[in-house]
Amino acid sequence: MPFFEFITPLFLLLIIGGTFVGIIFGAIPGMTATMAVAVCLPLTYPLGLNNGLALLLGLYVGGISGGLVPAILLNIPGTPSSITTTFDGYPMTQRGEGEKALKIGICASLAGGIISLIALYLFAPALADFAIRFSYVEKFLIILFALSVMGALSANLLIGIFSGFLGIFISLIGTYDISSGGNGKHRLIPPGLEYWLDSGFSLLPVLIGIFGLSAILQEAENGMPLGLSRDKVRIGKSSKFSFSVFKGQALNVLRSSGIGTFVGILPGVGGSAASILAYTNAKTFSKNPENFGKGEPAGIIASESGNNGLTGGALVPLLSLGIPGDSTTALLIGAFTLQGIQVGPLFIGNNPDTWNAMIFAMLIANVAMFIMMFYAIRYVALIVTIPKHILFPIILMMCVIGAYTINYGIMFDVWTLLIFGLFGWLALKIRLEIAPFIIGFILGPSAEVYFVKSLESFGDLTIFFTKSWIAVLLWVLILGSIAGSVFINRRASQAE
Amino acid sequence: MTFTRRLILSLAAATVLSASSYAAVAQELPRNVRLVIGSKSTGGDTYQNSAIVAEALAEKLGINVKVDAVGATEAFKALDRDSRGTTLMIFHDQSYLGNLYGVQGYSNPFEGYKVGPTVAINPGNAYLVPKTSKYQSMDDIFAAAKAGEKVRVAIQPGGVSEIGFSAMKNAAKVLSPGSEANIVAVNTGSQSDKNQTMWDDLSDVINGSIQANEQFTQLPEDDRKAMRFVWITARPATLQQAPAQGMGNTTRDQMLKFADPETKVPLNDSENFTFDKEFFFLYNQDMDDAIVAQIDTALSEIYAAGEIQKRQKEAFFIPNFLPSAEAQAHLLAKRSTYEQVIKDITSN
Repeated sequence: MPFFEFITPLFLLLIIGGTFVGIIFGAIPGMTATMAVAVCLPLTYPLGLNNGLALLLGLYVGGISGGLVPAILLNIPGTPSSITTTFDGYPMTQRGEGEKALKIGICASLAGGIISLIALYLFAPALADFAIRFSYVEKFLIILFALSVMGALSANLLIGIFSGFLGIFISLIGTYDISSGGNGKHRLIPPGLEYWLDSGFSLLPVLIGIFGLSAILQEAENGMPLGLSRDKVRIGKSSKFSFSVFKGQALNVLRSSGIGTFVGILPGVGGSAASILAYTNAKTFSKNPENFGKGEPAGIIASESGNNGLTGGALVPLLSLGIPGDSTTALLIGAFTLQGIQVGPLFIGNNPDTWNAMIFAMLIANVAMFIMMFYAIRYVALIVTIPKHILFPIILMMCVIGAYTINYGIMFDVWTLLIFGLFGWLALKIRLEIAPFIIGFILGPSAEVYFVKSLESFGDLTIFFTKSWIAVLLWVLILGSIAGSVFINRRASQAE
Repeated sequence: MTFTRRLILSLAAATVLSASSYAAVAQELPRNVRLVIGSKSTGGDTYQNSAIVAEALAEKLGINVKVDAVGATEAFKALDRDSRGTTLMIFHDQSYLGNLYGVQGYSNPFEGYKVGPTVAINPGNAYLVPKTSKYQSMDDIFAAAKAGEKVRVAIQPGGVSEIGFSAMKNAAKVLSPGSEANIVAVNTGSQSDKNQTMWDDLSDVINGSIQANEQFTQLPEDDRKAMRFVWITARPATLQQAPAQGMGNTTRDQMLKFADPETKVPLNDSENFTFDKEFFFLYNQDMDDAIVAQIDTALSEIYAAGEIQKRQKEAFFIPNFLPSAEAQAHLLAKRSTYEQVIKDITSN
């Protein structure tokens, strides 16, 4: 039967091997799914298209999923889209529930991956047609929606908003890139630093500096405690993982996976926005929003189902329009081109065999990811029992290697890591809010481009309110999100 | 320890020997070479083409060549730092067009660097209109501009995407002076953004490529996403080398209808404008000429063997090896033509 012709032992082995390597890449701070795919792309040429895609899709799913490991255990997001996983994952680890948090994250990842895969398989062309209704205006409003959650993630509303704007400001340092439709001119660069800052600060070194290095500096300042005891990490009967933790979370899983898939189908919006939106929606609709950020399982579920929801979503525009949904799927175009295959609106119809192979590979990759991580994770969780005077230098070394390699060998990225490590350490002392700062930093460049392009294209500010019914709906969501943030903040203040 | 005559002579001999052996090593490519490219994408045409060339070169010379997609600014910086041949660069016409358009980070590569051999052409640079557009051809577009109608063209400013737009303006000026003011740019970024401007009715014409847009030309007219080629900028001689089956459902013969001489975009009274996106090596200005010769020789032999052409054609590249000296002359002539086009449309 033609459907099964592509399923060979090599095909299956490549998916499983790719998933395993992807998990390793995702789990090492500073290494990403994109990097894993980039490294392995040249290997796919002799493999042929279906086998090559099996490897790359395994790497993609594994890489996105592996990011939850350092996010939960070390408070370092393995990938940018795992930031919100740190908010509740790391507090659970500090409570001795690292293994439980990891398993929650893995299950949520599987759910997100499978739901987005179903959406991809059933609705890809229709979703792509819907996605092209999103012009610069609607994309800006989605970014604004994601930014509007800054307040909800802050202990102090005003400081949170200030921190968010500071993040946006710093993200805009550099060149207004012509590849984004900019004018190619420098802006906000202090005189004399043009040579170093013309490309601005790179995202991943900033992330691992602020989350990883600053934590190490903080610990060094406090004095190195011994690692957590093995008993505390592993279980303790009350903290043992049980699927009952998902009771009452079906809506959260569906909503977060849906958000991930939806953000994935919009080229250029970015994976981090998916998990941020999923997380804050879960918080807003939760009966106990005050528990978020303190080790609430629903936060991990939202974040991980959101970022894995992206995997299927990002393939929608790639396979239906020939336009990659994120940086990793952009690399998949290379794999197609290497084999002389075009991707575009006719791809699915013209290449049913490859289409089926991709869907099957994604399915197997998600299942393989679940099995590998779920059953091996108790050993991975033991990482926090390693004495910190041994663990921290290793993490530091991995961070530096990750920062140096993320842009294929740029030394300034290592300096960025050190600068933002120091900044993160100081920020805690002056009580700046790190989460809104990072969200501002991630979303700032997209917000700028879409805002400027909206004005260039449509002329005046009224277009943000009058462009389409989608714009109006997004404004309702934005206003709801702001009201929710204010409400949550007030309730938290009153509780104190 | 006493410095005997014999000891001093031995030291001197050792110094001379090690210096000469260093000089010998310096005259060839080192064992490990970093090939930086002017694009940050590892899925784009620059990376694919560079990966093919790097693999062939590594195999031929028995060295390691690693392609690093660092982007133009960082690639030029890396090249500036290394004259030993450890860092080489591959980029395309953007390297000098960026300079001609005054983009920050682009100096004149013919002055600041050594220009090496060309290796391939991507013949896909194209311009498209919506399938329902009233513009059936470039002639319609120039006629509309002449009639005072604004024609909006979506491009990414500052390079390869803009040069075709500049050529359109120049052609409008040649055909009907003053009408070039009606060909206006819509500055966007990626291909996705350019397509989106068409679907949002923000542009009448978009810059695209055969590879990225051909399937959109196969969609039925009532599909909002459907497009139609109006111009392929490649030289006819280049397109003739593409596989006869072309790409997707568009054959080579159909492609030729959108290229010079069937589709005319006048450069001046006697010639039409063409543009091939050519990939070539760039070196540090102080890199040893012996290394330049070594790469030239190696590539000559690789292209003579004929295998690399097959891989390039599979990925819809047109093989185009020219040794350094010929490549420099060819690219300089090309640059000077485009410089004139840009000058002409910016002058009154």
